[in-house]
Amino acid sequence: MPVPTGHYVALAAVIFFIGVLGVIVRRNPLIMLMSIELMLNAGNLLLVAFARAWLQNAGQIFAFIVITVAAAEAAIGLAIIVTTFRPARFVDVDDVRSLHG
Amino acid sequence: MGSVAYPLVVALWLLPLAGAVLCWAFGPRLRSACGWLAAGLVGVSFLLAVASWGSATQNLGGVLGAHQPLVSWMPGFDFGLLLDPLSLIWTFIITGVGFLIVFYSIGYMDGDRAFARFFAYMSFFMFAMLTLVLSDNFVGLLVGWGLVGLASYFLIGFWFERRSAVAAARKAFVINVVGDVGMMFAIFLIVANVHSIGFGDVFAAAPGLSDKLVFAICLALFIGAAAKSAQVPLHTWLPDAMEGPTPVSALIHAATMVTAGVYLVARCAPLWNHSGSAQLLVATIGGVTALGGAILGTAQWDIKRILAYSTMSQIGYMIMGVGVGAYEGGVAHFFTHAFFKAQLFLGAGLVIHALHNEQDIRAMGGLWRRMPFAFWVMLTGVLSICGVPGFSGFFSKDAVIYGALQHGHPWIYAVDIVTAGITAYYMFRMLFVAFLGEYRGEAAPDRAGRESEHGTHAPGWVMNVPVAVLVVPSVAVGGALMFGGDNSPWSRFFAPLYGTPSSRAIAVPPISEGVTSLVVFLTVIAGFAIAWQRYASRGAQADAPARLRRETERMPAVLTNLFYVDWVIERLIVRPAQRLGELFGRVVDPHVLDGAVRDLVFWARWLGTLVRSFQTGLVRAYALILVAGAACFVVYYAVAAGLR
Repeated sequence: MPVPTGHYVALAAVIFFIGVLGVIVRRNPLIMLMSIELMLNAGNLLLVAFARAWLQNAGQIFAFIVITVAAAEAAIGLAIIVTTFRPARFVDVDDVRSLHG
Repeated sequence: MGSVAYPLVVALWLLPLAGAVLCWAFGPRLRSACGWLAAGLVGVSFLLAVASWGSATQNLGGVLGAHQPLVSWMPGFDFGLLLDPLSLIWTFIITGVGFLIVFYSIGYMDGDRAFARFFAYMSFFMFAMLTLVLSDNFVGLLVGWGLVGLASYFLIGFWFERRSAVAAARKAFVINVVGDVGMMFAIFLIVANVHSIGFGDVFAAAPGLSDKLVFAICLALFIGAAAKSAQVPLHTWLPDAMEGPTPVSALIHAATMVTAGVYLVARCAPLWNHSGSAQLLVATIGGVTALGGAILGTAQWDIKRILAYSTMSQIGYMIMGVGVGAYEGGVAHFFTHAFFKAQLFLGAGLVIHALHNEQDIRAMGGLWRRMPFAFWVMLTGVLSICGVPGFSGFFSKDAVIYGALQHGHPWIYAVDIVTAGITAYYMFRMLFVAFLGEYRGEAAPDRAGRESEHGTHAPGWVMNVPVAVLVVPSVAVGGALMFGGDNSPWSRFFAPLYGTPSSRAIAVPPISEGVTSLVVFLTVIAGFAIAWQRYASRGAQADAPARLRRETERMPAVLTNLFYVDWVIERLIVRPAQRLGELFGRVVDPHVLDGAVRDLVFWARWLGTLVRSFQTGLVRAYALILVAGAACFVVYYAVAAGLR
């Protein structure tokens, strides 16, 4: 008996909000990056779930593209974090606010 | 189109410009050679003008004169030079009298620091004036019109270390620009309605234009003519223009430039012929100017100012002549006036030069014994300007006065006769006060050829010869050319352009020309008699200094204030303009214009301060705003879906 699509949607929503909360609440850029990955994967889960439900493979392929982009984004994000926080002893995004108005 | 090209006219036109450029560029190296160079080039130009006689008067297939195209811009806008009887006469005066005056200037300006600059300006003026009279279109005419105004400005302000000279130059320029703007509007009207600037096209189209339009064009043109020719109420610059060197007054402010208005009306005769009201306007202004200038001339003491007012008055005659439609009469008076007025100015220059720049006739007196040559020159000039029978002025002035009657303007005719009497009075007044009686001045007049202690010397042959040459035409040219009515050489010369004088006359006057001449002569005698009784009779000579002082004190205020024209212009135009300027400077500029800019800056800064407070620089805050925005969208679509 297959799992209903609504369960996947609910799970994706839960994962997405965990990611949003992580970005908003945590101050460690590494954790924030991981939270962004969570949100992306919630999206991936939805893509795959709907592709399965409507028997259309385009969603599966999109999921792979998203994974690729997410990998690139993680690489760039990590590079930015490393260069930004190299002179600092602690990593805290609230310390990086030189672009305030 | 049928007309004959005549390339030589280009050389005639450009030679004075070459003189100006050479004097200007190499002045310091050429030094005194500048004068000879400028005079020589103008002389060659004059010889070319004489050689052009045949080409200018030829009549091939109904096309009069020679026409040399220069530049074609677009259809209707062709620039070229036109040499026909009218422009030929002006060219003769500009180059011929111009040559004599430049020659005279070599002596008059001798020792002046800016010797070369003077001759550069004079040559430039002659080039500009030739541009004015030789152009075959209205735009070229306007260019010449503006350039002579500029040359006049340069030469009035020639001694720019004098404050009064600078003020006079500025005044002349500003009033002339008023006229230039009038001309410009006339050209706008012409181009808008005829789509061409060429004289031929415009005059051919004139009969098809509406009366109102022709009147408007004539009115705008005449504003230009009135400013340039010192007609009421734009005349006030001319007496002030006497601040320039005397040869300048002779050439520009007597013989040539100030008659440009006469040229304009005579040139645009086909336009004026189609508008009776425009003719009446021009004739009336001319008559008023003739009378007003003559009356003001009676109250002056400065010899050059007397001559300036007489110039204004005589140009009034010319304008009146061309205004009523007696075109060859007005041009004839221009022709003879150029000679005798140049002669009078140069004669006055001899006196001023010998008396170390003394111009007040009250400080002269008895000069006929010390300067007999100057006296005889002035006497013949005065006889000619008064219109004594036999002298040139007689023939041309009678043509103008009788023309007024022939064309049906009895009032202007009467005013002209009265003016002739007043002219005789103030000209003989000048002559008697300056030359008869005992010498009243302090400066010792130099004997001929002897160096004085001031370093200036009495006029030498360089100054005397041109004056002597001028005496010949100012005595004889009228009798030689202008005697014989329709059959005179002068009338036949202009017949291809205007027709014969009597063929255009609209009325057979009740008074014959002979009776007119007699009446004019009697008024001249009366004017002479009054001047004689007041200034030359034995009783008047006995206590001349006291009499002159009394006359100065009792001069009516209306005359010493020159009819309050300057006063009215000052009150009506100058001061309101200054007030307006002050208003703009004090209120509009700082509070309205600057204020608007300042307010704009204030609000831009306020908005910037407000908006930049959102830019906290906190990544998490941005994320929160992002999420809140996305949440808003979700809620909106959810609600919208629910309502559906």
